[in-house]
Amino acid sequence: MNQPMSQPAGHDFDQDLARALAQGRDMPTPGFADRTVQAVRADRRQRRLIRWGSALTTAAACLLAAFVLTGGSDDALAQRARALAASDESSQLNDILGLADELAMLTPVVDRHTVVEALINPEL
Amino acid sequence: MSPEELPPPEDEEDKRLMSLVASGDDDALRLLVHRHHGRLVGYLRSEVGSQATAEELAMEVFIRLHRAAGRWRPEAKLTTYLIHIAHNLVLNEWRRRGRKPTSALDSAPEPGDQSHDSARRVTELDEAFRKAVALLPPEQRTAILLLVQQEMPYEEIATVMDAPVSSVKTWIHRARTRLRELLKDFYGPA
Repeated sequence: MNQPMSQPAGHDFDQDLARALAQGRDMPTPGFADRTVQAVRADRRQRRLIRWGSALTTAAACLLAAFVLTGGSDDALAQRARALAASDESSQLNDILGLADELAMLTPVVDRHTVVEALINPEL
Repeated sequence: MSPEELPPPEDEEDKRLMSLVASGDDDALRLLVHRHHGRLVGYLRSEVGSQATAEELAMEVFIRLHRAAGRWRPEAKLTTYLIHIAHNLVLNEWRRRGRKPTSALDSAPEPGDQSHDSARRVTELDEAFRKAVALLPPEQRTAILLLVQQEMPYEEIATVMDAPVSSVKTWIHRARTRLRELLKDFYGPA
């Protein structure tokens, strides 16, 4: 059975505490600095990748937003224009007949048959 | 030796190395790690009770130091800054574990046999102290480690622990009292 040690080495609490803890004060580890530098480099590469990824994502998001915001109104206009063009054959006639009075060309073609006749008859 | 030839004081050398680290100089970083890692690992090992975890955390400290190198301002000593980061990582480690760290030995220290020779008694006593320190509440352990092991003044300990100096003094007083209780078989009642 262990007996209490009434007179330990040093006899002094603070001195013994300091000695006991001082042993762990400095614990150099071989190769630690090199391993740490490697870990730091890996961390630096990883953060660089993350930064680039983030920048590219942001740029892509900006481009997409610009396209949507600016393209949206144009798109609506284009759709309306296309709808107008689809309902009006004047552009096709303009292609065929060449230059003509713009106002005349905007007039809806009522008699399609007359136009066709005019087209196939070179004398007209 | 003229004053110009004297080596720069440690703090000045740390500042010089930190500015080089901030500019991406890995050799300066290696030197900085070489200068400080022993002390850092020693402190962390006393806190977490494991050499492997201590080294892992010390490496993380230097990674964080490197990340912050560009923003670092030499208002405090670099050693204080490093121990401050280390202390925060220790707190995280405790949270991650979900319990307070203990050393490899959870039982209270026991005195050695009186028949052992002096060197053996010193070893046993040292071990008993380390076990007793590991049993302290976290704040008390950190405070006593920084004071006794790292030889930091109260003000620096307060900086590291983000606490008022008065709290630090209280923790240290309680730590001493608790250690005396744990080691009463060696020293008698407190």
